[in-house]
Amino acid sequence: MTRTDRLEDYLAQRYETFLLAWSDWRFKLGLLVVVTFVLMGTAGVMLVPKPAYSDGGKWDAPFAGTENLFGTNQFGQDILAMLIHATPAMLLMIIGGAVFATGIGALVGIVSGYKGGRLDEVLMTISDTAMMLPGLPLIIVIGAIWEPTNPFIVGILVSINAWAGTARGLRSQVLTIREESYVEASRVMGVSTPSILRKDITPQLLPLILVNFVMSGRGVIFNSVALYFLGVLPVQNVNWGVMLQQAYEAGAVTSPTLFYTILFPLLTIVILSWGMIMLSQGLDRVVNVRVRARHEGGPQE
Amino acid sequence: MNYYVKRLGRSLLTLVLVITITFGLTRLMPGGPVEYMRAQLRAQNPNLSTEEINQMVQAYVGVKPDEPLPMQYLNYLVQVLQGDLGRSTFYDQPVASIYANAIPWTLFVLGTALIVTFVISVTLGALLAYKEGSRVDTVVSSISVIMNSVPYYIAAIVLIAVFVTWLGWFPLSGRSSIDIAPGFNIPFILDVTKHAVLPMLSVILTGFGAQTLGMRGNSVRVLGEDYIRVAQLRMLPTHRIAMRYVARNAILPIYTGFIIQIAFILGGSVILEEIFRYPGVGFYFFNGISSRDYPLMMGGFLLISVAVVLAVLIADLTYGILDPRASSGGGDSEAY
Amino acid sequence: MSKTIQHERESDMNEETILEIRNASVTFDMDRGTSRVLNDVSVDVKRNEILGIVGESGSGKSMFADSMLNAVVEPGNLSGEIIYHPEDGQPVDLANADRETMEKYRWKEVSMVFQGAMSSFNPTQKIKDHFTETIKAHDHSLSEGMAHARELLTKLHLDPERVLKSYPHELSGGMQQRALIALSLVLKPRVLVMDEPTAALDLLMQRSILGLLAELQEEYGLTVVFITHDLPLVAGLADRIGVMYAFELAEIGPADQMLENPAHPYTRDLLNAVPNLNTPLDEMKPIEGSSPDPVNDHTGCQYASRCSLATSKCHSTDPPFEQAGDDHETACFHWERAREEIPMAIHDDVPTSDFAVQGKQSAEPVVTLDDVDVHFENKGGFLSQLRGESETVYAVNDIDLDIYENDVVALIGESGCGKSTLGKTAIGIQRPTDGSLDYRGQDVWETRDGGSGDVSFNEIRQSLQLIHQDPGSSLNPNMSVAKALAEPLKQAQSDLSFKDRRERILGMLEYVGLTPAKDYAERYPHQLSGGEKQRVALIRALFMNPDLIFADEAVSALDVSLRVEMMDLMLELQDRFNTSYLFISHNLENARYLAGKTDGRIGVMYLGNIVEIGPAEEMIDNPKHPYTKVLRWSTTDVDPDEDVEEPPIRGIDIPDPVDPPSGCPFQTRCPKAREQCTKEAPSLEASNVDGHSVACFREQDGDHPYWDSEPVEEVDLETDIFGPDLPPAARPETDTGSGSQTADD
Repeated sequence: MTRTDRLEDYLAQRYETFLLAWSDWRFKLGLLVVVTFVLMGTAGVMLVPKPAYSDGGKWDAPFAGTENLFGTNQFGQDILAMLIHATPAMLLMIIGGAVFATGIGALVGIVSGYKGGRLDEVLMTISDTAMMLPGLPLIIVIGAIWEPTNPFIVGILVSINAWAGTARGLRSQVLTIREESYVEASRVMGVSTPSILRKDITPQLLPLILVNFVMSGRGVIFNSVALYFLGVLPVQNVNWGVMLQQAYEAGAVTSPTLFYTILFPLLTIVILSWGMIMLSQGLDRVVNVRVRARHEGGPQE
Repeated sequence: MNYYVKRLGRSLLTLVLVITITFGLTRLMPGGPVEYMRAQLRAQNPNLSTEEINQMVQAYVGVKPDEPLPMQYLNYLVQVLQGDLGRSTFYDQPVASIYANAIPWTLFVLGTALIVTFVISVTLGALLAYKEGSRVDTVVSSISVIMNSVPYYIAAIVLIAVFVTWLGWFPLSGRSSIDIAPGFNIPFILDVTKHAVLPMLSVILTGFGAQTLGMRGNSVRVLGEDYIRVAQLRMLPTHRIAMRYVARNAILPIYTGFIIQIAFILGGSVILEEIFRYPGVGFYFFNGISSRDYPLMMGGFLLISVAVVLAVLIADLTYGILDPRASSGGGDSEAY
Repeated sequence: MSKTIQHERESDMNEETILEIRNASVTFDMDRGTSRVLNDVSVDVKRNEILGIVGESGSGKSMFADSMLNAVVEPGNLSGEIIYHPEDGQPVDLANADRETMEKYRWKEVSMVFQGAMSSFNPTQKIKDHFTETIKAHDHSLSEGMAHARELLTKLHLDPERVLKSYPHELSGGMQQRALIALSLVLKPRVLVMDEPTAALDLLMQRSILGLLAELQEEYGLTVVFITHDLPLVAGLADRIGVMYAFELAEIGPADQMLENPAHPYTRDLLNAVPNLNTPLDEMKPIEGSSPDPVNDHTGCQYASRCSLATSKCHSTDPPFEQAGDDHETACFHWERAREEIPMAIHDDVPTSDFAVQGKQSAEPVVTLDDVDVHFENKGGFLSQLRGESETVYAVNDIDLDIYENDVVALIGESGCGKSTLGKTAIGIQRPTDGSLDYRGQDVWETRDGGSGDVSFNEIRQSLQLIHQDPGSSLNPNMSVAKALAEPLKQAQSDLSFKDRRERILGMLEYVGLTPAKDYAERYPHQLSGGEKQRVALIRALFMNPDLIFADEAVSALDVSLRVEMMDLMLELQDRFNTSYLFISHNLENARYLAGKTDGRIGVMYLGNIVEIGPAEEMIDNPKHPYTKVLRWSTTDVDPDEDVEEPPIRGIDIPDPVDPPSGCPFQTRCPKAREQCTKEAPSLEASNVDGHSVACFREQDGDHPYWDSEPVEEVDLETDIFGPDLPPAARPETDTGSGSQTADD
């Protein structure tokens, strides 16, 4: 009885938050893009056959017929099929990297901000240092030596120091929230620290955590595509970065007729990245409670 | 005072960490540089003794495999601090001299790009804030977001396709053309600029968006502050309010974002210089990667890190001058 | 008596109008309709007068202030006329002037001081630059202007060189506010509009600034429009007072008439709601109901819904201004009835004798603070710590305090005196650096660190609760009222079933007047008003069944008319829940209201020390410590005959707690300080009255070295509030009441 009540209450509140975000067109657009890619990576791979060397001729032009809509590459593989079949691995990478970066970042940020003192000092020194490391060269060095292939691991590798920014941002929020009187009231009532973190602090941070999650995901796309494009990581399956590399090597940039071979993967990456930015910006209204209060209140003295 | 000491300490700490990481990767990674190099040397010269191989490894990588680990670390540290980064196997030259030649070019391209990005963002952001809600604001803000979602290397690819291949306005690779003699003369400077424009543009076009939006948001907030109102009531000239009141207070928060950007962009030199075949630090670093030239690779990583640390330090220290509140420390909150 | 600003004006010439406000209205277009935040206000401001404009928050008084400089912020829209009459020259309508004209008048002729001094300065610019840029922008001579600025700063008791080279954040709130006043006067304006210029400051600082302001006004022939929510504050300062209610002017008249015999029912109710030291406690009563919404239509008297005299005519017709006396106008149909039927509490004499003792206190203390010190290390980074470069803030020093069952202790003092830190220490959320905190004779921190005792730390934790100052952040925005209130019940009474909990919550909501309770239980904090949130916070603390509640300025953030109501509720619930209060306030009146009604004590803190503590009425009527006397002086009485005078202290600003003075903490500001005070700190010693202790050498008998040592500084202040310079035994018998400045002269 009480449990369902509580669940209902929780869902109602989350639904309210969702509606608030939904009222922003950027959120709608961003969500649409992201959902499309998720469908591509799940249903899409089942509907579209795997790319093969026999899909068509060498460099079939795009939009020429019903088959090979986006044309074929130098090996006769269908570009659209390649794009779709590269999606699942990319999604796994994004999830792995974003979960890692946001998870560690949130943990460090919240604990550091709430506990304060020496622990905070130590954690923040580590975060600051991690933030100063040039991420890409570090990732390349480790990637070149280690050569991981599991998309999850690759995702984590390319976000190796992305957690630091998240930790910094969340910490400063926690510093504000923990000074709120109701947090002190909970503490004085003898509510345990984990319970305070769960009930009083984290709910306020959720939208911000979500934004950080999306932005870390975007970072994963940037870095992993770069790594595959440079050929640092060993290749097992089709991959957008590898597609860029193959097209680039085959002269897609120097020959205008072949430009489509690089244009489609390129657009795919930009659209997904744009969708994620839209999504995070659309959450702005939820994150910025003060803005929300102003919307409801109207001018006051 | 405190603020500066803190920043300086943080920079030193980062440096030590970077050196430790390079040492760790060099020495400790299974299948890492030391093992790789020993295997290679042994394959090339089967009749060398272990001692001789170890000496050669030390010459290249800076690590003597048969010493105890702390000694290895200490020796490595001393060598690095003396500027000895080992010897490149690919170029068969001291790594330090390869990079000494490359550093000015990277700093020229990326430093200029960084500063231009910053100036554009600040001006554009402030302008948008003044025109908040107008058509210009909407259009420019949307463009900023779109440009911000393009990775810089993708911008580089498109720029090459458009300006090198189709229009032929700019050369593709190198620091300067071979047929123009280096020197402090106009044709050479023009030529160098021509070679640097596209890499710079790739950074600027993809980097200005985020900062412009940040500056816009800050300016909108500052415009709503009481002190702006009081300044207007005091009938201060508009330009003074714009510069000393709005701009100064709005720039400070995005300055931190700018500092983080430094690490990001300098790190990006790896891809950018590879795409443009521009022989800078990133270019050699990547050569080190693809030819498994570990000393070159580690040296490059170390150098890029140092550049980032220095750039961040400079930015941090100037921030302390710009914002009187930063150096006074601010209240540390009590712990519980 | 010092110079008075109430003196007769020399001639009728001075009575002419300098600023004429005609039908000023401010509107905002909002989604739900047009919001009219200033409605057709007309006032004449006379040359060289101080006009006080009083209103509660949301009465439109700030809009009125902005209108006078034509400075209403976008998207607000000002209509009407603001006509400025220069000494020589043609009148100008500022409401419809172009920028060029405004440049000649704004800040140069009509200037303004805002409430938030900190937010009025550019944080990245030194104070000096603010002055120079203002002088330059108006093409004045820089050297002359800066000389004037230095003069103003000196007159405002600031060190000009130090202040000018500081950044805003390096100055205290009081210093910033005074620097802002100097900035607004640097161009020698004729009219100064002040919008709540002292609201964020301590009473003593407020009164000090007011004293300085009265002097400046006289010296520079200023016209001052002083806007505030605090009626007593302007009582002695203003020549005329206007009262605003619901975006309209309700009444305006000479200050003495407005305070002694106002005609508008709202003014009368407002005066009765203001806690005042000369008002008998049982006659203060809150105003029922709340102010109307600015979007509503504005026909009829806006106060009608809350007015006891309202008739149907009041609801349908706008009352016109009627003459209620000489130069006294009021917008009420029934002002004559109001004067007859709404009695004024202020006129009665203070009946100290029939003061009911309601408190009942135990013999054994619940909480004992024994020789408690709290020092904060202002630590820098790691490296500077290594070099030992840290500063110590002496927040609380050597304090002994017992709090009994059903006790009320009210601590007062200026901000930064350590009272909040002491309160947090008393309920065990701040660990003392030295000394001990005992709960029923058991050391709290020892228990927490694993020491044995009869009572577990958890139980102690639950017995000591708190209520915060800011109702805005006292409740978790993500929790409904019911959920927020379930939390303490789960902690303190975990055996209650869901249903029992719900019943108790609803019952309690009902009890404190949040009805319908079922409706309130489902609300979220943003759907509650400040007073409602504060009540929920009070219930939340009480549900823990605490022995002691630390109320940290718990009513300061509420509107004046709500404070009494909240304090009454606190006292009522104290009885019901058998708890004690440690109440902290910067306001002597609130402290006296709470402590006085329960036979509690008032303690005065200064720089981390309790300098005097005693029974509430004794502390009010017979304060002994010079600092208590100064605080008592700063607590303005609603009395227009009393002059605003220079503060009876040697320095306005409190010393830095990082570097406290030697000897007695108050010696740097005390007008009665002697050489002995700089050498030795007096300890808190019991006086002849039971429970009244003072830490001052002046309470020692004649052979104490104090009486033989030289005064620290020759002070030319009116110091008769401190009594004669004689040991207690040698003082004339009749002198006991000298501390209270009752106006019955």
